[in-house]
Amino acid sequence: MSSCCEKPETTVVKATLTVALAGNPNSGKTTLFNALTGLRQKVANYPGVTVEKKTGRCKLPSGQWINIIDLPGTYSLISRSPDEQVAMEVLRGLRADTPAPDAVVVVVDASNLQRNLYLVSQLIELGRPMVVALNMMDLAEQRGKPVSAEALSRELGVPVVPVVGHQRKGIEHLKQVIAQAKVAPMPDWPLPDAMKEELMLVGGGLAILHDGPEDHESKDSMPTGNGKGGLLDRYKAIAERLLIGDRAGDLLSLSQKEPVTSLLKSAAGRMGQLGIEPMQADIEAHYRWIEQVGDRALGHVDGPKVPAAPEAEVRSRSWTERIDAICIHKFWGLLIFTAIMATLFVSIFWLAQPVMDGIDGGVSWLGAQVASWLPDGPVRDLVNDGIFAGVGAVVVFVPQIALLFFFLSILEDSGYLARAAFLMDRLLAKVGLHGKSFIPLLSSFACAIPGIMATRTIESRKDRLATIFVAPFMSCSARLPVYTLLIGTFFAAYGPFKQAGIMLALYALGIVAAAGTAWVFKRSMLKGPKPAFILELPTYKMPQASQVARSVFTNTKAFLTKAGTTIFCLSVILWAMMYYPRMPKSHVEQVEQQASLHNQDVDTAIAGEQLRYSVAGRFGHLIEPAIRPLGYDWKMGVGLVGAFAAREVFVSTMGIVYSVGDVEQEATPLEDAMRADHYADGRAVWTPVVALSLLVWFVLAMQCMSTLAVVRRETGGWKWPLVMLVYMNALAYVVSLAVYQVGTRFLHG
Amino acid sequence: MRKFCTVESCNQCDDPRTCTLNRLGIGCCGQVHSVGGDMDLRRRLLEMGFCNGANVEVIRRAPLGDPIEFRLRGYHLSLRDEQARHVNILPASR
Repeated sequence: MSSCCEKPETTVVKATLTVALAGNPNSGKTTLFNALTGLRQKVANYPGVTVEKKTGRCKLPSGQWINIIDLPGTYSLISRSPDEQVAMEVLRGLRADTPAPDAVVVVVDASNLQRNLYLVSQLIELGRPMVVALNMMDLAEQRGKPVSAEALSRELGVPVVPVVGHQRKGIEHLKQVIAQAKVAPMPDWPLPDAMKEELMLVGGGLAILHDGPEDHESKDSMPTGNGKGGLLDRYKAIAERLLIGDRAGDLLSLSQKEPVTSLLKSAAGRMGQLGIEPMQADIEAHYRWIEQVGDRALGHVDGPKVPAAPEAEVRSRSWTERIDAICIHKFWGLLIFTAIMATLFVSIFWLAQPVMDGIDGGVSWLGAQVASWLPDGPVRDLVNDGIFAGVGAVVVFVPQIALLFFFLSILEDSGYLARAAFLMDRLLAKVGLHGKSFIPLLSSFACAIPGIMATRTIESRKDRLATIFVAPFMSCSARLPVYTLLIGTFFAAYGPFKQAGIMLALYALGIVAAAGTAWVFKRSMLKGPKPAFILELPTYKMPQASQVARSVFTNTKAFLTKAGTTIFCLSVILWAMMYYPRMPKSHVEQVEQQASLHNQDVDTAIAGEQLRYSVAGRFGHLIEPAIRPLGYDWKMGVGLVGAFAAREVFVSTMGIVYSVGDVEQEATPLEDAMRADHYADGRAVWTPVVALSLLVWFVLAMQCMSTLAVVRRETGGWKWPLVMLVYMNALAYVVSLAVYQVGTRFLHG
Repeated sequence: MRKFCTVESCNQCDDPRTCTLNRLGIGCCGQVHSVGGDMDLRRRLLEMGFCNGANVEVIRRAPLGDPIEFRLRGYHLSLRDEQARHVNILPASR
């Protein structure tokens, strides 16, 4: 705080101004936010909702620092989605976690003026000081429709700054103008006269409510503009929201107070008689105003509107339309789509693998190095097998996540993501999913973690939840070692083609389960009015390297800090379960004797016996009665516990249980041990039917704590991961049970 | 059932109330007459600019037949058939 005595003129200015950045999706808002704030950004979540909260700091030419809140991109402020709700609440200063903005910067896409001005028309009604950043002026000029910033500024009554976000043009000018933000005068919306009268009546009711003897506290949320007329305008604006049925935020409580309630009721009755529907009349009036403002900003003179029909014939085809003629062509479009998706898939499936192996090796090497400094004992094992393995379990996902967000941000920034959704929507709509579910589901074949993170591109919450929910059914790369081991061991006699057939059938089973689940869920838990599929196909743009890098960085960082901590904790707990309690000394000596008697490796034998002795081993025995009907014995139970760390751990856990040493070096001893394993009555523990039942379990069961951790982060709570855990494991249990029971009847009956 | 109206027969539609956006042929233009459907869908369509007799041009259908791409107020958007059928259109005379 500077002393007020020395610089009296600075006392008027608040220490830090808060500026909200609003705008349509695809208006270049993010680019502008990055240009304004540089690297001084913070990404968090709005408490209670899964909407990302991005804030940043920016230094104005005057030397003053301002805080910028990047609101979610929205087409409207009438809340339907969590995004719109958050944007509306922040703008009206209703969120306790966010300071009410002192000014609003609206990003307007000059090449798509009318629809962008709709949001502006809603912002005007909020009565906050405003600046319009007229973005993509270059594109508008290319199209021969340059927007006059001066004319638009005259029409709106607020400063309008032309900018080209990706070239950083106009940014400095915008910074200068932010301090000169003005409250826009309330336009006289061309509403039907009857509705104007009702607005006056309800507005008057609000005035009575607020200007009563007691000073109402929520008066703050209605800035007064200029004078008495401005105040009435604000009341009319609120009356408008109430009349069109908006009950978000404090509007609900306002609508329940007298005299507002009865005024609204009689207004609705009178307008119903006249056949006026307030919501429709309101939007139409806004657009009528927009058409006039837009025409003037485009330099069209007032007067009768040019008959618009010939427009389509006259205009030349834009770049975007030319690209689209190929990119969403019936044949070439699908070919290009397949090629892009194949590249994406191959990258996260194979390209990431060596890096992941490298990380895996590096972390365990590091763990071993650190551990060698420590004395033998639990602390050393905790550091090596608990902490470092836990860190490895988190970091190992980084290459896939980074690669995925690399591709995803290129696809999204270029505008192709919307086309991909357009191409695939038909296929996914059949089971109640969204065109944008395709990439998350495809990525989930590599790993559900990046797949679930990729659902962030889906705006509708219901569609997003449904996609998250079915993503783990896609056979991920961690299931492959298990598939390979079991198919290779128990179906070797069937020949390579039938083995490949089994493998394909497992992948297909996952897809069928996902489709069925999505279909059922959209009709049960996520029931309700279907979110409308309204997909903008934005202009193609060249992705910016800096934006791509930023997206990769922030998303990877978010994973490490948010989901990573949960994964780490769970993997340490899992380690402890497989480590404690320790065998008593006498027991160890016994095992040593036995091992040397049978010519076995002593360490392997001890490791196997210790696992059997641990909580996890006992847990395997404990759940044996439950998994018995599926054909599993307690050893497989222990394997399933181990698989919770990552599915492929099943293989190494089986290696320990069967005391065959490091199966990563050579799998044959494990295969032999599994084939040779018999129950006391002489029956084989492992039969092809048991293997099949276990394979089905691995396809359908939710046994990946990392996935659960990411679902928790993405859905903002433990509810969905728990529903997922129960549902998937119940489904897996029932289907595996059916496979084993039917299978044994057929083969032995 | 009336077939999709084609470019040639675009101005043959004599009853505007029965011509909905999903039935307009590829390459056809029309003016928005009214928007139906439930409250939420109607609000969204109106807010996206399907109002005041705005001009809509049908650009294409997706390779699998649905959704449909439109050009409206200088931008492109796509709707599923089931949503486009709620937009009533006055086919433009050519």
